[in-house]
Amino acid sequence: MNCYEHVFITKGDLSERQSQKVLEKYSDIINSNSGKMIKTEKWGLRNFTYKINNLRKGFYFHLKFEGVAKTIKELERTENIDETLIRFLTVKVKKHDLETNYFDNKKEIDKK
Amino acid sequence: MKRKKNIKKKGSSFSKLSLFQKSGAKFFKPCPFSEKNAPVIDYKNIKLLKKYLSDSGRILPSRITSVSQKKQRELSQAIKRARLISLI
Repeated sequence: MNCYEHVFITKGDLSERQSQKVLEKYSDIINSNSGKMIKTEKWGLRNFTYKINNLRKGFYFHLKFEGVAKTIKELERTENIDETLIRFLTVKVKKHDLETNYFDNKKEIDKK
Repeated sequence: MKRKKNIKKKGSSFSKLSLFQKSGAKFFKPCPFSEKNAPVIDYKNIKLLKKYLSDSGRILPSRITSVSQKKQRELSQAIKRARLISLI
């Protein structure tokens, strides 16, 4: 099992319920393809630094999970089909960092 | 001396130069990522990455920021990841 981090961006602003639905959909895909969900984060609506598909804003999600090659393949395949998704990024990490959340507005973490 | 001249010439295009090297100070500066309690390079840490970008968003050369070769590779990888998801 390898550790992965995953970020994906969806179109427009989502309500609490809608965003929960999206998260559930993708955690189900991971869990049903010999993967294991560890943590999910919602970074919320953010402005892009440059326009993507003529859009200026997007809703960011962040997933931390363990899995194998098959998990990633299936996840990225469904994401390619999904039209509400704008972009995604998968990064392999050695160890999950579960403490720091750089996008938590409530408590500002001052990391040098 | 040779090096100093070089930097002075390009000083205009790298306006962040003064952040990293003061004129008249000691020339050698250790790598900011190789010290004890150094920050971890991560594509999510936008605040950190922005320190190593010029005003127009280009990656600053390690000759100016004195980041070690190994850490510079990590840094540029992290910056490119952050660019992909439009964080910086």
